[in-house]
Amino acid sequence: MTARTEILQRLRAQRREVNVPHPWQSRQRFDDLGQQFAAALTAVYGKVYLAASLEEASGQLGQLLAELGARRVVANDELLLSALDPAARWPDLVWHIVGQTPGDLRAFAAAADVGLSSAAAAIAETGSLLIASGPGRSRLVTLLPPVHVVLLPARLLITDLFTFIAARGGEMPANMTFVSGPSKTADIEQTMSIGVHGPKQLSVILYQE
Amino acid sequence: MTATMREFRDRATIAIEDVRLQTALEAATGRFCTARAAALAKLPWVEAMRDQFKAMRAATLANLAQHLEQFERQATAVGAQVHWARGGAEACAIVTGIAQRRGVTLVTKSKSMATEEIHLNTALAQAGIQPVETDLGEWIIQLAGEAPSHIIAPAIHKTKEQVAALFAQELGQTELPADIPALTAVARQMLRAKFLAAGMGISGGNLAVAETGSVVLVTNEGNGRMVTSAPPVHVAVIGIEKIAPTWDDAALWLSLLARSATGQPMSIYTTVVTGPKRAGDPDGPEEVHVVLLDNGRSQLIGSKYEEILQCIRCGACLNICPVYREAGGHAYGSPYSGPIGAVLSPLLFGLEKYPALPHASSLCGACKEVCPARIDLPRMLLELRADLVAQGLASPVEQFLEQGAALTMRSSRVWQFVTAMGRWGQRPLLQNGRLTLPASLNPVGERQLPHLAAKSFRELWRQGEV
Repeated sequence: MTARTEILQRLRAQRREVNVPHPWQSRQRFDDLGQQFAAALTAVYGKVYLAASLEEASGQLGQLLAELGARRVVANDELLLSALDPAARWPDLVWHIVGQTPGDLRAFAAAADVGLSSAAAAIAETGSLLIASGPGRSRLVTLLPPVHVVLLPARLLITDLFTFIAARGGEMPANMTFVSGPSKTADIEQTMSIGVHGPKQLSVILYQE
Repeated sequence: MTATMREFRDRATIAIEDVRLQTALEAATGRFCTARAAALAKLPWVEAMRDQFKAMRAATLANLAQHLEQFERQATAVGAQVHWARGGAEACAIVTGIAQRRGVTLVTKSKSMATEEIHLNTALAQAGIQPVETDLGEWIIQLAGEAPSHIIAPAIHKTKEQVAALFAQELGQTELPADIPALTAVARQMLRAKFLAAGMGISGGNLAVAETGSVVLVTNEGNGRMVTSAPPVHVAVIGIEKIAPTWDDAALWLSLLARSATGQPMSIYTTVVTGPKRAGDPDGPEEVHVVLLDNGRSQLIGSKYEEILQCIRCGACLNICPVYREAGGHAYGSPYSGPIGAVLSPLLFGLEKYPALPHASSLCGACKEVCPARIDLPRMLLELRADLVAQGLASPVEQFLEQGAALTMRSSRVWQFVTAMGRWGQRPLLQNGRLTLPASLNPVGERQLPHLAAKSFRELWRQGEV
């Protein structure tokens, strides 16, 4: 008998009819999703910049890249970012746009100063960004560089995990990560240390459209 | 590994006499408890949420076969390969087999209790494959050749000086400064090279979602993302009980997991893996394997211990437990320590190997209070104590006393005779109307027991005095 058959047979022999509880409904309410998102993310050492328009957001992005002294930037190819045409806007920097720039994405991302992306959604309650894989959306862009910068339109904000699940539709991407701050650990003497394996800095530019 | 009475007592004594360990345990468990309470207090409806969670977990286990089959169907549909393992050896053979087929020599691992449970690292090393733990705490104890001492903070017992010495040795240097940010930076640099060079990533799974065939990993460091994104192959080993039927259920699970564990509303990274990379994805593993591990779990379904499978490994019961807080994790002689370990280890690995653990509790009930699934751990500790006696695993002295007590209480005449003897026998020990134990059983002299009354209730009743 295969392991599968053996395990399933044993489980089926103990099967019981039970009432399955109704799904939990979100009870969370926030007056201002943007404010809540910023407060939650800031509390875990993320940085949030507010902008009134995409144009203002791009100004802030330029300033941020300058402050970081960034030289090499790897960016996911997403609609929001391509509208900005970053490579043309900041020609002094070395850009790798996923799927457009030829060359080794992995090697570039491993040596990049900044990874730039947007998000599929953002959860206000916990200050979480939903980063999904897909065409033009690399996992390593948001993971390998020491700084991850996210351009986030305010319309992508939702209340909590339950409202996200209720609104969820269609297929799951191969990889979907809720990012709720810069990488951290407290494994040595319970002392918080920022930036273990993932980005040491997470900056979100939250803008109105 | 085992935990007999003597082993538990000896290991606990070492821990209790280690002043530095006591300070570390007190600080860490105290901080976790405070953070948990604060995080839960922010959700006014959290008690209802826990009730709902418990009901969901119970309903899932009652129909586990169906959910596992749905998981398998959905995961297979998106290109993942699902394997089933009856025990640890079988699971290890599956994982090493995948690595050997792909010619893998270096494996990066994110933190996983299931792989600790089956000693996967030993099996990989024996097959000539080098496993590198990448959770900072797990890596520290791997370098030290030790077992985890806490479910979510495995290196809770190590000082920064000890960590510096371990890292220096690994780097081939004589010395490193015992500075925590600097040590973290060293780990980042050394492990980054491993992440990029590894031929395979191995993870556990905090939960698996049947509805979409997804495996969910929760980490703070980002190593969970690394091992599922950088190498060409990803293998997740997950216990068969960690199934959420739907995403609604998964959301409830995730809402309680991090809050109960560290007091975070959400861990820094919650990663959802649904099959290998798709056509058009710029990166990600070409192969994703999920190993569904039984290892004694299916035997518990339908038994009086089924409830233990509702556990989500948050560690809240460890942090609150007065025994764990003094004895530390290593006393339990199992990857699972604290109240959950005291119940789970004997059930998964054999009561005869862990006879001390059902007694490693004061039955205060704090574990049940903080458990997100309200698992009745004290009840199961008592059941296990009864099993110890029933299976003849209790010590001869305990057996004698228990059997004597049973015999005495079964008949009112024997009871009356024994209590009369007791009333006579206790006289030398009576001090000011209290029963004081002899010095050998009572080193500090503080313990006093109520004594047997001069007349029993029956006698008083018969004589019309009550």
